[in-house]
Amino acid sequence: MLHLLKIEWLKVKNYKAFWIFSILYSFAILGINYTGYYVNELSLQSLPQSQLLLGTPYAFPKVWQTVGWMSSWLLYFPGILFIMLLINEFNFKTHRQNVIDGWTRKEFVSVKFVFAILFSVVATFFNFLVALLFGSLTTGSSFSFQGIENIGYIFIQTVAYITFAMFLGVLFRRSGAAIAVFFLFGLIFEFLITLLINVKMNLVPVGYFLPLQVTDVMLPIPFGNKVIYKDSPDVWILVIASLVYICGYYFFAMKKFTTEDL
Amino acid sequence: MSILTIENLSKSYGRIQALKNVSFSVPEGSVFGILGPNGSGKTTMLGTIMDILKPTSGSYRLFDELPTHLHRQRIGTLLETPNFYHYLSGVKNLEIAAEIKQHGKEDIPRVLEMVDLTRRKDSKFSTYSLGMKQRLAIASCLLGNPKVLVFDEPTNGLDPVGIAEIRDLMKELYREGKTIIMASHLLDEVEKVCTHVAILRRGELVASGNVNEILSNEDMVEVGAQNSEKLMALLQNMNNQVRVAKEGGMVKVFFPVGTANLEFINKYCYDNGIILNHLLLKKKSLESRFFELTNN
Repeated sequence: MLHLLKIEWLKVKNYKAFWIFSILYSFAILGINYTGYYVNELSLQSLPQSQLLLGTPYAFPKVWQTVGWMSSWLLYFPGILFIMLLINEFNFKTHRQNVIDGWTRKEFVSVKFVFAILFSVVATFFNFLVALLFGSLTTGSSFSFQGIENIGYIFIQTVAYITFAMFLGVLFRRSGAAIAVFFLFGLIFEFLITLLINVKMNLVPVGYFLPLQVTDVMLPIPFGNKVIYKDSPDVWILVIASLVYICGYYFFAMKKFTTEDL
Repeated sequence: MSILTIENLSKSYGRIQALKNVSFSVPEGSVFGILGPNGSGKTTMLGTIMDILKPTSGSYRLFDELPTHLHRQRIGTLLETPNFYHYLSGVKNLEIAAEIKQHGKEDIPRVLEMVDLTRRKDSKFSTYSLGMKQRLAIASCLLGNPKVLVFDEPTNGLDPVGIAEIRDLMKELYREGKTIIMASHLLDEVEKVCTHVAILRRGELVASGNVNEILSNEDMVEVGAQNSEKLMALLQNMNNQVRVAKEGGMVKVFFPVGTANLEFINKYCYDNGIILNHLLLKKKSLESRFFELTNN
């Protein structure tokens, strides 16, 4: 696998879009959390009572969850990046050439998923550093590992978003279609379907188990979550559901890639 | 040893049958041409043996063994179009191919030199001309000096000088004892470089074997006389002819290449009481042989 990863690295190392997306993504994580932290500090100073309503989202231990939730809005960045990396192969027909040159079809798929997981490890670590930074800067906050499990949830959510994006890439084989569906589904349709299932059909918590929604519920909004995700299932169930989805994407891609014409 | 053995290979795309029960084998050390017009199934067949297409039925063997990715690593293959990462330079693209084939980088300068791309090795692939892309693909095939090479339309997009260079390169590779499998719709290309040939027509194998046998360049003589029946019977008994056919009012006599002798035919007929009113040597072209094989 290390050798496969080395080759995957050769593919992205000199790919400008990879670095531009990664750098923008890092700055966006930093920026969105700085904004949150700044507004929070401002409201704490000017209106100390606001703490009663909002809590102290950027203070330990809540900061682990807050950073995860804020950053989750940015997961479309790596999603698009991985759609591009995959669709590039289809467009350049290098997925065929890799196999012709001596990769197995399985190797092609598995190294893409392993690379996505490694990318998620780095992204999660960056989120950890950002949480550490703003947690320490927040007035009246003292370091605590309590709630550190949220870092694990950030990791699962990142993997889930990226692999869902790759699943769409394998399904549509066109970056335009895959990216459009990724956005429309993630930002609008999934929300509507959740409402339809949970509210209109009154089937709570079934609506929480949609592919991206399930990870959003796992890492809920850090202020007043029980209002937003009423009757949400235990977090371990959500974790398992997310992992089932990730495995599902992997097996779907593997099945499609190993049995069809390339 | 057979480098490649194909047994009853079929491939359908929905209702279109691109390959129908094709079987043949490629002997070691041959330059094996796969000849056929556009859409005859050449690329489909090579794609199948490279595992990028799944056959509907049938099987194939590489190096007399069940095929795996390890066999593919030992074969340099150019299939259909040069497939490279557009945003990477020529040399970076070759690094990826070399890694996949489990070779080091050390062979890259040699293959770039062989296809005359050293000067442009650091330019992005997307800036290459069609001919340069094709040459980079050939360079990639040569990485690690494989014993077997598969070329699908290798002279596509090359200018006349490039075409001549690639043909020379292939002859050189052949002299080095390499086995070359080459698909082409260009008859003279196959004639000039191949030792063996398989001819495909609409997915069916029309003929395969030694190139001299399949594309034998026969001499043909058109002969006419008042009584063509009698003429035909007479010529059938003549020495040295290969076959005789009647077409229209004329009789066609075929000879091994370079052995037709008009004076001899004229004398032979005269001595046997037939006066000819038509005698014409027509060299049968490879083209007509090819059309004969693929069009009826």
